[in-house]
Amino acid sequence: MNPPFRESLLSGEALGQRYALAVPQTALAGATGNQLGRRAGTSIDFQDYREYQPGDDLRTIDWNVFARTDRLTIKLFREEVNPHLDLLLDASRSMDLEATPKAAALLRLAALLATAAENARCTHATWLASDGFLRVANDTLLPSAWEGFNFASRQPLDEAFAILPPRLRRLGIRVLVSDLMWPVDPLAILRRLADGAAAVFVVQLLSQADTEPPEHGNVQLVDSESGEEREIFVDATVAAQYRDALARHRESWDTACRQTGARFVPLVAEKLDTSLPALEEAQLLVPA
Amino acid sequence: MPFLTYPLALLAAAAIPALAAIYILRNRYRRRQVSSLMLWEFAVLSREGGAKVNKLQLPLVFFLELLALALLVTAATGPRWQLPAHARPLVVIFDDSASMLASSGGAANAPRARAAVALDDLLKSRKFLSIRLVLAGPKPRVLASAVVTAPEVRESLGQWTCQAPDAALDAAIALANDLGGPQSQLLVLTDHAPPGTEFSGDRIQWWAFGTAQPNLAFVNATRTTHGDADRVLLEVANFSATASASAAYRITSGSNLLRSATLNLEPRARQRLILNLPANTPAIEAVLADDALAADNRVTLLPAVRKRIRVQNSLEDVALRTLVDKALDSTGLRSSLSAAPELILHNARVTPAGTNAWGFRILADTNNATSHTGPFIVDTAHPLARGLALDGVVWTTGAGQGTNQFGLPIVTAGNTPLLTTQTDALGREQVTMHLLPDLSTFTATPNWPILFWNLLTWRARETPGVMESNYRLGSEVAIRSLTNTVQLLLPGGASRTLTKSAEEFILEPETPGLYTVVAGVSRWQFAVNLLSPEESDLNTAKTGKWGEWEKPEETRREYASVLWLFVLGALVVMVSHLFLVTHSKGRV
Repeated sequence: MNPPFRESLLSGEALGQRYALAVPQTALAGATGNQLGRRAGTSIDFQDYREYQPGDDLRTIDWNVFARTDRLTIKLFREEVNPHLDLLLDASRSMDLEATPKAAALLRLAALLATAAENARCTHATWLASDGFLRVANDTLLPSAWEGFNFASRQPLDEAFAILPPRLRRLGIRVLVSDLMWPVDPLAILRRLADGAAAVFVVQLLSQADTEPPEHGNVQLVDSESGEEREIFVDATVAAQYRDALARHRESWDTACRQTGARFVPLVAEKLDTSLPALEEAQLLVPA
Repeated sequence: MPFLTYPLALLAAAAIPALAAIYILRNRYRRRQVSSLMLWEFAVLSREGGAKVNKLQLPLVFFLELLALALLVTAATGPRWQLPAHARPLVVIFDDSASMLASSGGAANAPRARAAVALDDLLKSRKFLSIRLVLAGPKPRVLASAVVTAPEVRESLGQWTCQAPDAALDAAIALANDLGGPQSQLLVLTDHAPPGTEFSGDRIQWWAFGTAQPNLAFVNATRTTHGDADRVLLEVANFSATASASAAYRITSGSNLLRSATLNLEPRARQRLILNLPANTPAIEAVLADDALAADNRVTLLPAVRKRIRVQNSLEDVALRTLVDKALDSTGLRSSLSAAPELILHNARVTPAGTNAWGFRILADTNNATSHTGPFIVDTAHPLARGLALDGVVWTTGAGQGTNQFGLPIVTAGNTPLLTTQTDALGREQVTMHLLPDLSTFTATPNWPILFWNLLTWRARETPGVMESNYRLGSEVAIRSLTNTVQLLLPGGASRTLTKSAEEFILEPETPGLYTVVAGVSRWQFAVNLLSPEESDLNTAKTGKWGEWEKPEETRREYASVLWLFVLGALVVMVSHLFLVTHSKGRV
């Protein structure tokens, strides 16, 4: 793999040691795992009593209570669950924008989240959205062992959903990391992500080149994905219009996220380290 | 035409391309990859809507800065503009000599054509109060009246034919000075450099358009009487300074070829050709092969004029009459008395009556004879005295004629008139000679036949017709006629009527060729040939410009400063620039 990418993964992994994934309550349900779920289960941690109902496991009848009350009462124990993080990474060309650290920041953030998930004893899966959603090689291991990152896709994220959708775990925590730089109705994406999810986080990772328009003068803009070119003269008016367009774009995603119960977190690649409190604020990470 | 006080300030114009370079570099399209064009759609739509014309995308302030810079640079040069009120008169002096037509590469390369083009360019670029044109031939001549515009000048240039054998440029400049006044500017258009090593003509510009080149030419051509025959002398010169030349020539008379040969001439050498022709041979023409100057390659020679005078010798003394007859016969100018005499020689104190003949009387009074040995006072300007050498001559006269009672003295000894002449009321000349031949040595000297040759020549000159049949271009042609007007047929076929203002018609032919004079029933012809070695020698021809019309301080007086105009313009542009910068919401 590209050495800088490896370094980014290592850096993110080291940074992630300081955090744990904030697992929401809704995520504490599901298959047997190593965490206590919010429902009754088979762990050894007592949770409550309730009357016996036909079909209950006779082994859970508290015979001491039966002896005192002559009523069949069963002991409920906390369920043991294994929360899961599905990390969906945008692997389109725009995420490896030339002269920007977007790709490195993406890998660093992904490694951070995966490591934080490990710290929170969550399983995790990492998906790369290129020509369909594909699992990252070795994604079950530590991020430093991940392989196969290639930011060459020209497919927008919604196309990837259509071609090969990810197999997302129910009640999992789903984090989409992308620059969201394609024209689409955010609700269409978010509804698919939110379906069966415990929590959905949309992290918009932009570079400063994305957030700030070019300096005044003539600029030949080249679309990193389609290769389309446009020549424009950038002045104060055009720069302001660009900032307005970006703000409207973010606003549309934020609104859509709120409509679907997701959280929208905008980040700047160049300021990733200083932007991590935003992830804590969004209750995605907690200090370990 | 504008005038720049400090032309070196134009170097500051280098800032203009520098400014352009800065803007072009600043405004060139910088390539920038973006994540997506979706956020730029507003700008794309706007451009596609109507901004395609401005491909360079150079802002308006650039052009304003460019204009301001250009105005300031121009202002720094101290521009001055010629005001109509300050325009000065121009006098153009045209070299009208034949060498102005010399060209080996077509008429357009001739100095005359090049000078005309240069003059046209000058008149287009500069205004003059008035323009006077002076033609510098053997004598300067003013062309038309004052003109102002270039087309008017072009119209007058038709008279600039360049046929003259000489150009009196000094006299033409003097005339131009008188004509234009002290404020005038003089322009000389010629084909050679100004005289002297350094030209310092005040208010004069000397423009030369000549080119040094080899040329073969007839420089002399005469046809004289030689007994009963005519002798023709032709002289051909090679005016090349370095190269030998072969001169092929042909001499024809009508359709008859008289001679055709080739002369080999060393550089700057001349060679003479002599032909003896019968007296009745009509006009002959000698032609050289074409070269740089065409006018000197052809000469026409008419038969020499043979004017003879009918003389009636009525002298009483036989010995003297014999002496006179011998002298008359020796001149070859005496004809037989087939008609009324034109000259009567006699001894009478009175003028012969009833005739238009001139009189020549010899008074040989032997009383109180006095011998004179000199010194003799001779009026050498008189036709009769030409060639007389009286030193050592013993001239004896009779007494009694002490006072000058016979007219203007031509030869005197002290206060004693020896030879006098008087014009009577009919215009006849009556010459009186006091001489005792027996006691004088005058008749034994060459002065005796010379005197009669002078007498007959003078008389012949006063008879109708032309004195000579062949002239050099530029020389005066005198025509005597009994009528008051004559018709002159020019070589080109045109004709002019001449009116007598004196005893004879004097004209100066302007072009080479054959002229015919018609006076009543009489017709005379004469030929004019260029024959001007100075014009044929093209080695001194040169191209260049010398002299200035005015000193810079004079030019400043003539031109008003327009610096303020450019400074004002620059200020307006800069204010506009400031307005744009502050009110354009960043689009600058």
